[in-house]
Amino acid sequence: MLLLIIALAAVLLILGFEMFLVLGLPALATKEAFYGNIPDAAVVQKIFGGIDHTTLLAIPFFIFAAHLMGSGQIAKNLTGFVRSLVGHTRGGMGHTVIGGSMAFGSVSGSAPATVAAMGKMVYPEMRKNGFSEKFSLGLLVASAETALLIPPSITFIIYGWMTGTSIAKLFAGGLAVGLFLGLAFAIMVWIEAKRQGIEPDQKTTWSQRFASLREAKWALGMPFIILGGIYSGTITPTEAAAVSVVYAILVEMVVYRNFGFKDLVKITEQSAISTCVIFILLALGGLISFYVTLAQVPTQITDFLTAIDAGPIQFLLAVNVCFLIAGMFIDPNSALLILVPPLFPVAQAMGVDPVHFGMIVTLNISLGMITPPFGLDIFVASSTLNKPVLNIIKGVWPFVFVNILVLLVVTYVPQISLFIPQLIFG
Amino acid sequence: MKLLSYIRLAERTFLVTLFLTMVILFFGNVVAREIGGTFASKFAWIEEAVRFMNVFLVFIALGLALEQGRHVGIDTLRDRLPAKIRSVLLKIIDGVGFLFSIYLAWLGTGLVKFVLMTGQRSPTLDIPVGWVYSAPVIGFGLLALRFALSFFGIIDRFGSHETPAEAEH
Repeated sequence: MLLLIIALAAVLLILGFEMFLVLGLPALATKEAFYGNIPDAAVVQKIFGGIDHTTLLAIPFFIFAAHLMGSGQIAKNLTGFVRSLVGHTRGGMGHTVIGGSMAFGSVSGSAPATVAAMGKMVYPEMRKNGFSEKFSLGLLVASAETALLIPPSITFIIYGWMTGTSIAKLFAGGLAVGLFLGLAFAIMVWIEAKRQGIEPDQKTTWSQRFASLREAKWALGMPFIILGGIYSGTITPTEAAAVSVVYAILVEMVVYRNFGFKDLVKITEQSAISTCVIFILLALGGLISFYVTLAQVPTQITDFLTAIDAGPIQFLLAVNVCFLIAGMFIDPNSALLILVPPLFPVAQAMGVDPVHFGMIVTLNISLGMITPPFGLDIFVASSTLNKPVLNIIKGVWPFVFVNILVLLVVTYVPQISLFIPQLIFG
Repeated sequence: MKLLSYIRLAERTFLVTLFLTMVILFFGNVVAREIGGTFASKFAWIEEAVRFMNVFLVFIALGLALEQGRHVGIDTLRDRLPAKIRSVLLKIIDGVGFLFSIYLAWLGTGLVKFVLMTGQRSPTLDIPVGWVYSAPVIGFGLLALRFALSFFGIIDRFGSHETPAEAEH
Protein backbone atom coordinates (compact mmCIF):
# COMPACT_ATOMS: atom_id res chain seq x y z
CA MET A 1 0.00 0.00 0.00
CA LEU A 2 2.80 2.40 0.91
CA LEU A 3 4.46 1.49 -2.37
CA LEU A 4 1.23 2.29 -4.17
CA ILE A 5 1.23 5.77 -2.69
CA ILE A 6 4.86 6.36 -3.68
CA ALA A 7 4.01 5.10 -7.18
CA LEU A 8 1.05 7.50 -7.30
CA ALA A 9 3.36 10.40 -6.46
CA ALA A 10 5.86 9.32 -9.14
CA VAL A 11 3.17 9.09 -11.82
CA LEU A 12 1.74 12.52 -10.93
CA LEU A 13 5.26 13.96 -11.01
CA ILE A 14 6.13 12.59 -14.44
CA LEU A 15 2.79 13.61 -15.92
CA GLY A 16 3.55 17.19 -14.97
CA PHE A 17 1.07 17.79 -12.16
CA GLU A 18 1.97 20.84 -10.10
CA MET A 19 4.34 19.90 -7.26
CA PHE A 20 1.82 20.81 -4.57
CA LEU A 21 -0.56 18.25 -6.09
CA VAL A 22 2.26 15.70 -6.25
CA LEU A 23 2.72 16.18 -2.49
CA GLY A 24 -0.91 16.78 -1.58
CA LEU A 25 -2.82 14.02 -3.38
CA PRO A 26 -0.72 11.13 -1.99
CA ALA A 27 -0.95 12.73 1.46
CA LEU A 28 -4.75 12.73 1.26
CA ALA A 29 -4.69 9.18 -0.11
CA THR A 30 -2.55 8.10 2.87
CA LYS A 31 -5.07 9.55 5.26
CA GLU A 32 -7.98 7.76 3.57
CA ALA A 33 -6.11 4.47 3.35
CA PHE A 34 -4.32 4.26 6.72
CA TYR A 35 -5.45 6.94 9.11
CA GLY A 36 -9.22 7.17 8.59
CA ASN A 37 -9.65 7.75 12.32
CA ILE A 38 -7.79 11.06 12.21
CA PRO A 39 -10.42 13.82 12.18
CA ASP A 40 -10.78 15.70 8.87
CA ALA A 41 -10.17 19.03 10.55
CA ALA A 42 -6.67 17.86 11.55
CA VAL A 43 -5.64 17.75 7.89
CA VAL A 44 -6.16 21.48 7.40
CA GLN A 45 -4.68 22.16 10.82
CA LYS A 46 -1.45 20.37 9.82
CA ILE A 47 -1.35 22.30 6.53
CA PHE A 48 -1.81 25.54 8.43
CA GLY A 49 0.72 24.54 11.09
CA GLY A 50 3.27 23.82 8.37
CA ILE A 51 3.65 27.54 7.70
CA ASP A 52 2.55 29.36 10.86
CA HIS A 53 5.99 29.82 12.37
CA THR A 54 8.11 32.90 13.15
CA THR A 55 11.36 31.38 11.84
CA LEU A 56 9.76 30.85 8.45
CA LEU A 57 8.91 34.56 8.20
CA ALA A 58 12.54 35.06 7.18
CA ILE A 59 11.68 33.47 3.83
CA PRO A 60 9.10 35.98 2.50
CA PHE A 61 11.32 38.83 3.65
CA PHE A 62 14.48 37.46 2.04
CA ILE A 63 12.54 36.73 -1.16
CA PHE A 64 11.23 40.28 -1.17
CA ALA A 65 14.71 41.74 -0.61
CA ALA A 66 16.12 39.53 -3.38
CA HIS A 67 13.45 40.67 -5.84
CA LEU A 68 14.22 44.28 -4.96
CA MET A 69 17.98 43.84 -5.24
CA GLY A 70 17.70 41.66 -8.34
CA SER A 71 18.07 44.62 -10.68
CA GLY A 72 20.99 44.79 -13.09
CA GLN A 73 22.53 47.71 -11.21
CA ILE A 74 23.44 45.76 -8.08
CA ALA A 75 24.67 42.69 -9.92
CA LYS A 76 26.76 44.92 -12.21
CA ASN A 77 28.35 46.83 -9.33
CA LEU A 78 29.16 43.67 -7.41
CA THR A 79 30.65 41.96 -10.44
CA GLY A 80 32.66 45.09 -11.26
CA PHE A 81 34.10 45.08 -7.77
CA VAL A 82 35.00 41.39 -7.88
CA ARG A 83 36.58 41.84 -11.30
CA SER A 84 38.77 44.67 -10.07
CA LEU A 85 40.05 42.30 -7.37
CA VAL A 86 40.66 39.09 -9.34
CA GLY A 87 40.49 40.09 -13.01
CA HIS A 88 44.26 40.21 -13.44
CA THR A 89 44.84 36.58 -12.40
CA ARG A 90 45.04 33.68 -14.85
CA GLY A 91 41.53 32.99 -16.12
CA GLY A 92 40.46 36.19 -14.36
CA MET A 93 37.06 36.44 -16.03
CA GLY A 94 36.26 32.88 -14.88
CA HIS A 95 37.13 33.78 -11.30
CA THR A 96 35.00 36.89 -11.66
CA VAL A 97 32.02 34.70 -12.54
CA ILE A 98 32.55 32.59 -9.41
CA GLY A 99 33.17 35.56 -7.13
CA GLY A 100 30.35 37.56 -8.66
CA SER A 101 27.90 34.69 -8.16
CA MET A 102 28.96 34.40 -4.52
CA ALA A 103 28.61 38.13 -3.96
CA PHE A 104 25.22 38.14 -5.62
CA GLY A 105 24.23 35.07 -3.61
CA SER A 106 25.02 36.98 -0.44
CA VAL A 107 22.38 39.47 -1.53
CA SER A 108 19.76 37.21 -3.05
CA GLY A 109 20.04 33.60 -1.89
CA SER A 110 18.39 32.17 -4.98
CA ALA A 111 20.40 30.14 -7.49
CA PRO A 112 18.06 30.66 -10.47
CA ALA A 113 18.04 34.41 -9.80
CA THR A 114 21.83 34.34 -9.76
CA VAL A 115 22.04 32.50 -13.08
CA ALA A 116 19.63 35.00 -14.59
CA ALA A 117 21.38 38.08 -13.20
CA MET A 118 24.93 36.95 -13.99
CA GLY A 119 24.22 35.20 -17.28
CA LYS A 120 23.65 38.11 -19.64
CA MET A 121 26.39 40.16 -18.05
CA VAL A 122 29.35 37.82 -17.79
CA TYR A 123 28.79 35.23 -20.53
CA PRO A 124 29.83 37.54 -23.43
CA GLU A 125 32.86 38.68 -21.40
CA MET A 126 34.01 35.12 -20.82
CA ARG A 127 33.75 34.34 -24.50
CA LYS A 128 35.71 37.51 -25.31
CA ASN A 129 38.37 36.33 -22.87
CA GLY A 130 38.78 33.15 -24.90
CA PHE A 131 36.87 30.59 -22.84
CA SER A 132 34.93 28.03 -24.91
CA GLU A 133 31.14 28.19 -25.09
CA LYS A 134 30.87 24.84 -23.31
CA PHE A 135 33.10 25.82 -20.40
CA SER A 136 31.56 29.28 -20.01
CA LEU A 137 28.02 27.91 -19.83
CA GLY A 138 29.00 25.17 -17.41
CA LEU A 139 30.84 27.55 -15.11
CA LEU A 140 27.98 30.05 -15.11
CA VAL A 141 25.40 27.44 -14.11
CA ALA A 142 27.64 25.75 -11.56
CA SER A 143 28.81 28.98 -9.86
CA ALA A 144 25.22 29.95 -9.17
CA GLU A 145 25.04 27.01 -6.79
CA THR A 146 27.13 28.91 -4.29
CA ALA A 147 24.13 31.24 -3.84
CA LEU A 148 22.31 28.47 -1.97
CA LEU A 149 25.25 28.01 0.38
CA ILE A 150 26.36 31.59 1.00
CA PRO A 151 24.00 33.21 3.52
CA PRO A 152 21.22 34.22 3.39
CA SER A 153 19.99 30.89 2.08
CA ILE A 154 16.33 29.92 2.02
CA THR A 155 17.31 26.26 1.97
CA PHE A 156 19.07 26.64 5.33
CA ILE A 157 16.08 28.44 6.82
CA ILE A 158 13.74 25.61 5.82
CA TYR A 159 16.20 22.96 7.04
CA GLY A 160 16.74 24.83 10.31
CA TRP A 161 13.03 25.12 10.90
CA MET A 162 12.37 21.45 10.12
CA THR A 163 15.14 20.13 12.36
CA GLY A 164 15.37 22.79 15.06
CA THR A 165 18.97 23.58 14.10
CA SER A 166 20.25 27.12 14.71
CA ILE A 167 19.96 29.11 11.50
CA ALA A 168 22.85 31.37 12.54
CA LYS A 169 25.10 28.28 12.80
CA LEU A 170 23.86 26.94 9.46
CA PHE A 171 24.62 30.28 7.81
CA ALA A 172 28.14 30.20 9.27
CA GLY A 173 28.73 26.65 8.07
CA GLY A 174 27.33 27.50 4.65
CA LEU A 175 29.82 30.31 4.27
CA ALA A 176 32.71 27.85 4.62
CA VAL A 177 31.19 25.19 2.37
CA GLY A 178 30.25 27.83 -0.24
CA LEU A 179 33.80 29.18 -0.28
CA PHE A 180 35.19 25.65 -0.52
CA LEU A 181 32.98 24.89 -3.53
CA GLY A 182 33.96 28.21 -5.14
CA LEU A 183 37.62 27.36 -4.60
CA ALA A 184 37.18 23.99 -6.33
CA PHE A 185 35.62 25.72 -9.34
CA ALA A 186 38.40 28.33 -9.33
CA ILE A 187 40.96 25.54 -9.67
CA MET A 188 39.04 24.25 -12.70
CA VAL A 189 39.10 27.75 -14.22
CA TRP A 190 42.84 28.01 -13.62
CA ILE A 191 43.51 24.65 -15.30
CA GLU A 192 41.23 25.48 -18.24
CA ALA A 193 42.85 28.91 -18.69
CA LYS A 194 46.29 27.31 -18.69
CA ARG A 195 45.22 24.66 -21.22
CA GLN A 196 43.63 27.20 -23.56
CA GLY A 197 46.45 29.72 -23.13
CA ILE A 198 44.08 32.46 -21.95
CA GLU A 199 45.95 35.65 -21.08
CA PRO A 200 45.18 37.50 -17.84
CA ASP A 201 43.59 40.96 -17.87
CA GLN A 202 45.76 43.96 -17.16
CA LYS A 203 46.47 44.62 -13.53
CA THR A 204 43.98 46.95 -11.89
CA THR A 205 45.37 49.82 -9.86
CA TRP A 206 44.32 50.37 -6.27
CA SER A 207 42.59 53.60 -7.15
CA GLN A 208 40.46 51.71 -9.69
CA ARG A 209 39.68 49.16 -7.02
CA PHE A 210 38.55 51.83 -4.60
CA ALA A 211 36.42 53.36 -7.32
CA SER A 212 34.59 50.07 -7.92
CA LEU A 213 34.32 49.50 -4.17
CA ARG A 214 32.57 52.85 -3.91
CA GLU A 215 30.17 51.85 -6.65
CA ALA A 216 29.41 48.55 -4.95
CA LYS A 217 29.21 49.88 -1.39
CA TRP A 218 25.41 49.96 -1.20
CA ALA A 219 25.12 46.40 -2.45
CA LEU A 220 27.85 45.27 -0.04
CA GLY A 221 25.90 46.87 2.81
CA MET A 222 23.34 44.08 2.53
CA PRO A 223 25.53 41.13 3.62
CA PHE A 224 27.06 43.46 6.20
CA ILE A 225 23.67 44.11 7.79
CA ILE A 226 22.55 40.49 7.60
CA LEU A 227 25.72 38.80 8.84
CA GLY A 228 26.82 41.60 11.14
CA GLY A 229 23.36 41.84 12.67
CA ILE A 230 22.98 38.13 13.24
CA TYR A 231 26.48 37.39 14.56
CA SER A 232 26.67 40.39 16.84
CA GLY A 233 23.53 38.98 18.42
CA THR A 234 21.59 42.19 17.79
CA ILE A 235 18.88 40.64 15.62
CA THR A 236 17.52 37.22 14.74
CA PRO A 237 17.74 35.93 11.15
CA THR A 238 14.03 36.72 10.68
CA GLU A 239 14.54 40.30 11.85
CA ALA A 240 17.61 40.62 9.65
CA ALA A 241 15.43 39.61 6.72
CA ALA A 242 12.86 42.33 7.50
CA VAL A 243 15.60 44.93 7.93
CA SER A 244 17.14 43.92 4.60
CA VAL A 245 13.83 44.59 2.82
CA VAL A 246 13.68 48.13 4.19
CA TYR A 247 17.35 48.58 3.26
CA ALA A 248 16.77 47.28 -0.28
CA ILE A 249 13.80 49.63 -0.77
CA LEU A 250 15.89 52.59 0.42
CA VAL A 251 18.87 51.70 -1.79
CA GLU A 252 16.84 51.02 -4.92
CA MET A 253 14.29 53.81 -4.60
CA VAL A 254 16.20 56.58 -2.85
CA VAL A 255 19.90 56.04 -3.63
CA TYR A 256 19.88 54.52 -7.12
CA ARG A 257 16.40 55.77 -8.09
CA ASN A 258 16.02 52.56 -10.09
CA PHE A 259 12.28 52.47 -9.75
CA GLY A 260 9.25 54.29 -8.45
CA PHE A 261 6.16 53.40 -6.47
CA LYS A 262 4.48 51.60 -9.38
CA ASP A 263 7.42 49.24 -9.77
CA LEU A 264 7.46 48.67 -6.03
CA VAL A 265 3.84 47.48 -6.22
CA LYS A 266 4.70 45.11 -9.06
CA ILE A 267 7.75 43.72 -7.27
CA THR A 268 5.75 43.29 -4.07
CA GLU A 269 3.10 41.30 -5.89
CA GLN A 270 5.68 39.07 -7.59
CA SER A 271 7.45 38.50 -4.26
CA ALA A 272 4.14 37.54 -2.67
CA ILE A 273 3.56 34.99 -5.41
CA SER A 274 7.11 33.57 -5.08
CA THR A 275 6.48 33.25 -1.35
CA CYS A 276 3.22 31.42 -1.99
CA VAL A 277 4.91 28.97 -4.37
CA ILE A 278 7.41 27.91 -1.69
CA PHE A 279 5.02 28.01 1.25
CA ILE A 280 2.29 25.88 -0.28
CA LEU A 281 4.95 23.15 -0.51
CA LEU A 282 5.93 23.76 3.12
CA ALA A 283 2.26 23.60 4.09
CA LEU A 284 1.67 20.23 2.45
CA GLY A 285 5.09 19.10 3.67
CA GLY A 286 3.74 19.68 7.18
CA LEU A 287 1.06 17.10 6.43
CA ILE A 288 3.53 14.58 5.01
CA SER A 289 6.00 14.77 7.87
CA PHE A 290 3.09 14.19 10.24
CA TYR A 291 2.45 10.82 8.54
CA VAL A 292 6.17 10.04 8.40
CA THR A 293 6.29 10.43 12.18
CA LEU A 294 3.10 8.42 12.71
CA ALA A 295 4.40 5.57 10.57
CA GLN A 296 7.70 5.62 12.53
CA VAL A 297 9.70 5.66 9.32
CA PRO A 298 12.92 6.94 11.00
CA THR A 299 12.86 4.05 13.51
CA GLN A 300 12.40 1.58 10.69
CA ILE A 301 15.36 3.04 8.80
CA THR A 302 17.54 2.94 11.92
CA ASP A 303 16.53 -0.68 12.59
CA PHE A 304 17.35 -1.60 9.03
CA LEU A 305 20.75 0.10 9.20
CA THR A 306 21.55 -1.64 12.49
CA ALA A 307 20.49 -4.95 11.00
CA ILE A 308 22.90 -4.62 8.08
CA ASP A 309 25.56 -3.27 10.43
CA ALA A 310 25.95 0.09 8.64
CA GLY A 311 27.72 2.95 10.38
CA PRO A 312 27.61 6.72 9.78
CA ILE A 313 29.90 6.41 6.75
CA GLN A 314 27.59 4.07 4.86
CA PHE A 315 24.55 6.00 6.04
CA LEU A 316 25.87 9.34 4.75
CA LEU A 317 26.77 7.74 1.44
CA ALA A 318 23.18 6.48 1.16
CA VAL A 319 21.93 9.98 2.05
CA ASN A 320 24.00 11.44 -0.76
CA VAL A 321 22.67 8.96 -3.28
CA CYS A 322 19.03 9.56 -2.20
CA PHE A 323 19.32 13.34 -2.42
CA LEU A 324 21.25 13.26 -5.66
CA ILE A 325 18.58 11.17 -7.35
CA ALA A 326 15.77 13.25 -5.84
CA GLY A 327 17.52 16.47 -6.85
CA MET A 328 17.70 15.36 -10.47
CA PHE A 329 13.93 15.19 -10.67
CA ILE A 330 12.26 17.40 -8.11
CA ASP A 331 12.78 20.97 -6.92
CA PRO A 332 15.09 21.63 -3.94
CA ASN A 333 12.39 22.56 -1.46
CA SER A 334 10.29 19.49 -2.15
CA ALA A 335 13.37 17.28 -1.85
CA LEU A 336 14.02 18.76 1.60
CA LEU A 337 10.41 18.35 2.70
CA ILE A 338 10.21 14.73 1.65
CA LEU A 339 13.63 13.44 2.68
CA VAL A 340 14.65 15.37 5.79
CA PRO A 341 11.83 14.21 8.14
CA PRO A 342 12.66 10.51 7.76
CA LEU A 343 16.46 10.90 7.52
CA PHE A 344 17.31 13.56 10.10
CA PRO A 345 16.38 11.49 13.19
CA VAL A 346 18.50 8.67 11.82
CA ALA A 347 21.44 11.04 11.34
CA GLN A 348 21.04 12.16 14.95
CA ALA A 349 20.92 8.59 16.17
CA MET A 350 24.18 7.98 14.28
CA GLY A 351 25.80 10.96 15.96
CA VAL A 352 26.05 13.18 12.87
CA ASP A 353 26.18 16.87 13.78
CA PRO A 354 22.94 18.67 12.73
CA VAL A 355 24.89 21.54 11.13
CA HIS A 356 27.13 19.10 9.25
CA PHE A 357 24.09 17.14 8.07
CA GLY A 358 22.53 20.41 6.90
CA MET A 359 25.62 21.16 4.79
CA ILE A 360 25.51 17.71 3.19
CA VAL A 361 21.82 18.05 2.43
CA THR A 362 22.11 21.56 1.01
CA LEU A 363 25.17 20.80 -1.08
CA ASN A 364 23.30 17.82 -2.49
CA ILE A 365 20.32 19.97 -3.31
CA SER A 366 22.39 22.58 -5.06
CA LEU A 367 24.12 19.81 -6.99
CA GLY A 368 20.67 18.59 -8.03
CA MET A 369 19.91 22.01 -9.49
CA ILE A 370 22.71 21.69 -12.05
CA THR A 371 22.38 17.97 -12.71
CA PRO A 372 20.86 16.95 -16.04
CA PRO A 373 18.19 16.17 -17.13
CA PHE A 374 15.94 18.36 -14.95
CA GLY A 375 18.33 20.66 -13.05
CA LEU A 376 16.41 23.92 -12.82
CA ASP A 377 19.44 26.17 -13.33
CA ILE A 378 20.16 24.54 -16.69
CA PHE A 379 16.77 25.65 -17.98
CA VAL A 380 17.12 29.12 -16.53
CA ALA A 381 20.48 29.56 -18.25
CA SER A 382 19.04 28.22 -21.47
CA SER A 383 16.21 30.77 -21.45
CA THR A 384 18.27 33.80 -20.33
CA LEU A 385 21.09 33.19 -22.79
CA ASN A 386 19.07 31.68 -25.62
CA LYS A 387 21.31 28.62 -25.80
CA PRO A 388 20.03 25.10 -26.45
CA VAL A 389 19.68 23.02 -23.29
CA LEU A 390 21.93 20.35 -24.79
CA ASN A 391 24.91 22.74 -25.12
CA ILE A 392 24.61 23.66 -21.46
CA ILE A 393 24.34 20.03 -20.42
CA LYS A 394 27.56 19.27 -22.31
CA GLY A 395 29.38 22.04 -20.48
CA VAL A 396 28.03 21.25 -17.04
CA TRP A 397 29.23 17.62 -16.71
CA PRO A 398 32.81 18.36 -15.59
CA PHE A 399 31.40 20.67 -12.91
CA VAL A 400 28.93 18.03 -11.74
CA PHE A 401 31.87 15.65 -11.38
CA VAL A 402 34.00 18.11 -9.37
CA ASN A 403 30.94 18.94 -7.31
CA ILE A 404 30.50 15.30 -6.38
CA LEU A 405 34.13 15.21 -5.22
CA VAL A 406 33.51 18.32 -3.11
CA LEU A 407 30.39 16.69 -1.71
CA LEU A 408 32.34 13.60 -0.67
CA VAL A 409 35.02 15.70 1.01
CA VAL A 410 32.39 17.76 2.85
CA THR A 411 30.60 14.56 3.85
CA TYR A 412 33.64 12.85 5.32
CA VAL A 413 35.51 15.87 6.69
CA PRO A 414 33.00 17.44 9.10
CA GLN A 415 35.53 20.09 10.14
CA ILE A 416 34.96 22.00 6.89
CA SER A 417 31.31 22.52 7.81
CA LEU A 418 31.91 23.07 11.48
CA PHE A 419 35.00 25.23 11.93
CA ILE A 420 33.36 28.61 11.35
CA PRO A 421 30.32 27.86 13.56
CA GLN A 422 32.72 26.63 16.26
CA LEU A 423 34.86 29.73 15.87
CA ILE A 424 31.84 31.98 16.40
CA PHE A 425 29.80 30.00 18.87
CA GLY A 426 32.58 28.05 20.62
CA MET B 1 -15.15 38.33 -17.50
CA LYS B 2 -15.44 41.57 -15.63
CA LEU B 3 -16.00 39.72 -12.36
CA LEU B 4 -12.70 37.85 -12.78
CA SER B 5 -10.77 41.08 -13.26
CA TYR B 6 -12.36 42.47 -10.09
CA ILE B 7 -11.30 39.38 -8.18
CA ARG B 8 -7.79 39.76 -9.58
CA LEU B 9 -7.65 43.41 -8.58
CA ALA B 10 -8.85 42.54 -5.08
CA GLU B 11 -6.25 39.77 -4.72
CA ARG B 12 -3.41 42.02 -5.91
CA THR B 13 -4.38 44.98 -3.75
CA PHE B 14 -4.74 42.68 -0.76
CA LEU B 15 -1.36 40.98 -1.31
CA VAL B 16 0.61 44.19 -1.87
CA THR B 17 -0.95 46.03 1.08
CA LEU B 18 -0.51 43.03 3.35
CA PHE B 19 3.13 42.36 2.40
CA LEU B 20 4.21 45.98 2.81
CA THR B 21 2.40 46.16 6.16
CA MET B 22 4.22 43.01 7.31
CA VAL B 23 7.57 44.58 6.46
CA ILE B 24 6.75 47.85 8.21
CA LEU B 25 5.43 46.12 11.33
CA PHE B 26 8.34 43.71 11.68
CA PHE B 27 10.90 46.42 10.99
CA GLY B 28 9.15 48.69 13.48
CA ASN B 29 9.33 45.89 16.02
CA VAL B 30 13.13 45.73 15.69
CA VAL B 31 13.45 49.51 15.99
CA ALA B 32 11.14 49.57 19.02
CA ARG B 33 13.19 46.88 20.74
CA GLU B 34 16.44 48.73 20.12
CA ILE B 35 14.89 51.77 21.77
CA GLY B 36 13.92 49.34 24.49
CA GLY B 37 12.16 49.66 27.81
CA THR B 38 8.43 49.62 28.34
CA PHE B 39 8.01 51.12 24.89
CA ALA B 40 8.97 47.82 23.25
CA SER B 41 6.61 45.69 25.32
CA LYS B 42 3.66 47.51 23.76
CA PHE B 43 4.54 45.82 20.48
CA ALA B 44 4.50 42.21 21.64
CA TRP B 45 1.48 41.54 19.40
CA ILE B 46 3.44 42.29 16.23
CA GLU B 47 5.09 38.89 15.87
CA GLU B 48 1.82 37.01 16.08
CA ALA B 49 0.07 39.49 13.78
CA VAL B 50 2.76 39.21 11.10
CA ARG B 51 2.69 35.42 11.33
CA PHE B 52 -1.06 35.37 10.73
CA MET B 53 -0.70 37.92 7.92
CA ASN B 54 1.89 35.72 6.27
CA VAL B 55 -0.53 32.79 6.35
CA PHE B 56 -3.11 34.94 4.55
CA LEU B 57 -0.45 36.13 2.10
CA VAL B 58 0.40 32.55 1.16
CA PHE B 59 -3.16 31.30 0.71
CA ILE B 60 -4.58 34.35 -1.06
CA ALA B 61 -1.74 34.20 -3.62
CA LEU B 62 -2.49 30.55 -4.54
CA GLY B 63 -4.93 31.39 -7.33
CA LEU B 64 -2.83 34.12 -8.92
CA ALA B 65 0.23 31.89 -8.82
CA LEU B 66 -1.67 29.19 -10.70
CA GLU B 67 -3.03 31.63 -13.26
CA GLN B 68 0.46 32.98 -13.96
CA GLY B 69 1.93 29.49 -14.27
CA ARG B 70 4.23 30.04 -11.30
CA HIS B 71 3.71 26.85 -9.31
CA VAL B 72 6.64 24.45 -9.67
CA GLY B 73 6.28 21.15 -11.47
CA ILE B 74 8.06 19.12 -14.12
CA ASP B 75 6.57 20.18 -17.43
CA THR B 76 9.40 19.05 -19.73
CA LEU B 77 7.90 15.66 -20.48
CA ARG B 78 4.31 16.88 -20.43
CA ASP B 79 5.05 19.55 -23.02
CA ARG B 80 6.70 17.09 -25.39
CA LEU B 81 3.59 14.94 -25.72
CA PRO B 82 1.62 15.08 -28.99
CA ALA B 83 -0.79 18.04 -28.91
CA LYS B 84 -3.92 15.92 -28.61
CA ILE B 85 -2.74 13.77 -25.69
CA ARG B 86 -1.29 16.83 -24.02
CA SER B 87 -4.56 18.74 -24.12
CA VAL B 88 -6.41 15.76 -22.59
CA LEU B 89 -3.75 15.49 -19.88
CA LEU B 90 -4.02 19.20 -19.09
CA LYS B 91 -7.81 18.80 -18.66
CA ILE B 92 -7.20 15.91 -16.28
CA ILE B 93 -4.73 17.99 -14.25
CA ASP B 94 -7.22 20.85 -14.06
CA GLY B 95 -10.03 18.50 -13.06
CA VAL B 96 -8.02 16.73 -10.36
CA GLY B 97 -6.66 20.06 -9.12
CA PHE B 98 -10.20 21.41 -8.85
CA LEU B 99 -11.41 18.44 -6.79
CA PHE B 100 -8.32 18.65 -4.57
CA SER B 101 -8.80 22.37 -3.83
CA ILE B 102 -12.56 22.11 -3.28
CA TYR B 103 -12.05 19.16 -0.92
CA LEU B 104 -9.47 21.08 1.15
CA ALA B 105 -11.65 24.21 1.18
CA TRP B 106 -14.51 22.07 2.45
CA LEU B 107 -12.34 20.44 5.16
CA GLY B 108 -11.19 23.94 6.10
CA THR B 109 -14.76 25.14 6.54
CA GLY B 110 -15.29 22.33 9.03
CA LEU B 111 -12.19 23.43 10.93
CA VAL B 112 -13.29 27.08 11.03
CA LYS B 113 -16.71 26.10 12.41
CA PHE B 114 -15.20 23.74 14.94
CA VAL B 115 -12.60 26.21 16.27
CA LEU B 116 -15.10 29.07 16.41
CA MET B 117 -17.34 26.80 18.47
CA THR B 118 -14.55 26.06 20.97
CA GLY B 119 -14.07 29.83 21.30
CA GLN B 120 -10.25 29.54 21.22
CA ARG B 121 -8.54 32.95 21.16
CA SER B 122 -5.00 33.76 20.06
CA PRO B 123 -2.44 34.35 22.86
CA THR B 124 -1.38 37.97 22.31
CA LEU B 125 -3.80 39.47 19.80
CA ASP B 126 -6.79 37.92 21.56
CA ILE B 127 -8.79 37.35 18.38
CA PRO B 128 -10.87 34.20 17.68
CA VAL B 129 -8.47 31.71 16.08
CA GLY B 130 -11.31 30.30 13.98
CA TRP B 131 -11.21 33.36 11.73
CA VAL B 132 -7.50 32.88 11.08
CA TYR B 133 -8.30 29.41 9.78
CA SER B 134 -10.48 31.01 7.11
CA ALA B 135 -7.26 31.77 5.16
CA PRO B 136 -6.92 28.25 3.72
CA VAL B 137 -10.67 28.14 2.98
CA ILE B 138 -10.57 31.34 0.91
CA GLY B 139 -7.22 30.43 -0.64
CA PHE B 140 -8.21 26.94 -1.78
CA GLY B 141 -11.50 28.44 -2.99
CA LEU B 142 -9.63 30.91 -5.21
CA LEU B 143 -7.39 28.07 -6.39
CA ALA B 144 -10.41 25.91 -7.25
CA LEU B 145 -11.86 28.82 -9.24
CA ARG B 146 -8.68 29.06 -11.34
CA PHE B 147 -8.56 25.29 -11.95
CA ALA B 148 -12.21 25.43 -13.10
CA LEU B 149 -11.65 28.43 -15.38
CA SER B 150 -8.65 26.71 -16.92
CA PHE B 151 -10.63 23.48 -17.35
CA PHE B 152 -13.27 25.35 -19.36
CA GLY B 153 -10.61 27.20 -21.34
CA ILE B 154 -11.51 30.66 -20.00
CA ILE B 155 -7.97 31.32 -18.79
CA ASP B 156 -4.79 29.98 -20.38
CA ARG B 157 -2.46 29.06 -17.54
CA PHE B 158 -0.26 26.74 -19.59
CA GLY B 159 0.28 29.13 -22.48
CA SER B 160 2.49 32.17 -21.96
CA HIS B 161 4.61 30.30 -19.49
CA GLU B 162 7.03 32.54 -17.65
CA THR B 163 10.42 30.99 -17.05
CA PRO B 164 11.62 30.96 -13.45
CA ALA B 165 14.31 33.43 -14.49
CA GLU B 166 11.85 36.05 -15.64
CA ALA B 167 9.67 35.28 -12.70
CA GLU B 168 12.49 36.14 -10.35
CA HIS B 169 12.32 39.76 -11.39
